[in-house]
Amino acid sequence: MAGLKQIKTKIRSVQKSRQVTKAMEAVSAAKMRKAQQRALAGRAYARAASGILARVSGARELKGHMLTEARSVKHALYIVITSDKGLAGALNSAVLRATHADIEKLGLSPSQITVVAIGRKAADYFVARGYTVERSTHNTDTVTGKFINELVAMAVQRFSSEGVDVVKIAYQNFFSTFEQRPTLRTIFPLSLGELEAVVKDIVPVRGVFADTAGVERPAGYTIEPSEEEVLEATLPRLASIFVYHALLESQASEHSARMVAMKSASDKAAELAHTLTITFNKARQAAITREVSEITGGMEAMST
Amino acid sequence: MKVVIAKVDQNLFDGEAKSLTVPAADGEMTVLPEHMPVVTTLKAGTITVRSAQGEQQFPIESGVLEVRRDGATVIL
Repeated sequence: MAGLKQIKTKIRSVQKSRQVTKAMEAVSAAKMRKAQQRALAGRAYARAASGILARVSGARELKGHMLTEARSVKHALYIVITSDKGLAGALNSAVLRATHADIEKLGLSPSQITVVAIGRKAADYFVARGYTVERSTHNTDTVTGKFINELVAMAVQRFSSEGVDVVKIAYQNFFSTFEQRPTLRTIFPLSLGELEAVVKDIVPVRGVFADTAGVERPAGYTIEPSEEEVLEATLPRLASIFVYHALLESQASEHSARMVAMKSASDKAAELAHTLTITFNKARQAAITREVSEITGGMEAMST
Repeated sequence: MKVVIAKVDQNLFDGEAKSLTVPAADGEMTVLPEHMPVVTTLKAGTITVRSAQGEQQFPIESGVLEVRRDGATVIL
């Protein structure tokens, strides 16, 4: 049996680990709530933009704009969102696996893929597998409008003039604290179906897309300066909704996955500390018994 | 009239307003209640909202304005 002192040190270190995991759990819980609130704040924008689009195009189908035209895919751009840090269960590997499966489904070789990695884990993964990682950034909690606009502008440019036939975004979709699912969405060519799915995903109030005040144009609806120009201005804004919500969803997922992982680590640490305490008590008892029997043995030896 | 001015990551204005002045693609334009429905692109300039709380200004680089029977929405 291990020495008493060793067991005591072990117990102390387990308890300290538990303190750390407990703290991380609390931090993740707070961050998760923040990400959810931000997602809610973006709802008005998503609703307004999709409403305008529906009324301008006057139908459920988008046609006649370059950014909505499907082509056969020879080159694809993937925007992959993971976390920077680990300790969050299977969160990142699930996204990366889903992306990989999707690439294989398209039947493209690494040279036909361009990756934009948000989050260190995604960058590491794709660099290691020989893909072109064109841009990699950290996945921080502060998402700025500027960052989103840059990303969308790049995607628009790639899709419209530099030979990219499809732009997809991969992220972890947040359903609840215990459930996140890897999700892939097609940004370009833009489709109303995908857009609706994104707007619906905005947590936690569901079905908000239903109240977009009808698709028909009101009487005397004027479009200035022209339908094309309004579409030209609206479509990238819709794409930025995709990106923004993907970022928020992945953050909410990251924090909740980490919260759950840290909670089970804390529970495990508590259990371990308990078992170790029992071992310690047993060892101490054994030591005392041994000492007593040594003393009585010595006394007996002297008395004879 | 209900006015919403929204960016992707935040709502700049959401509430009742008396009038809304925007730099529309073909010149400055002021929207009053009962304005006819219109959708237009915006160019760089300043949006001015006049409400019961006074006047608020927002500088913008671009955007889209939609006026409906029940209000106006600007997305930046």
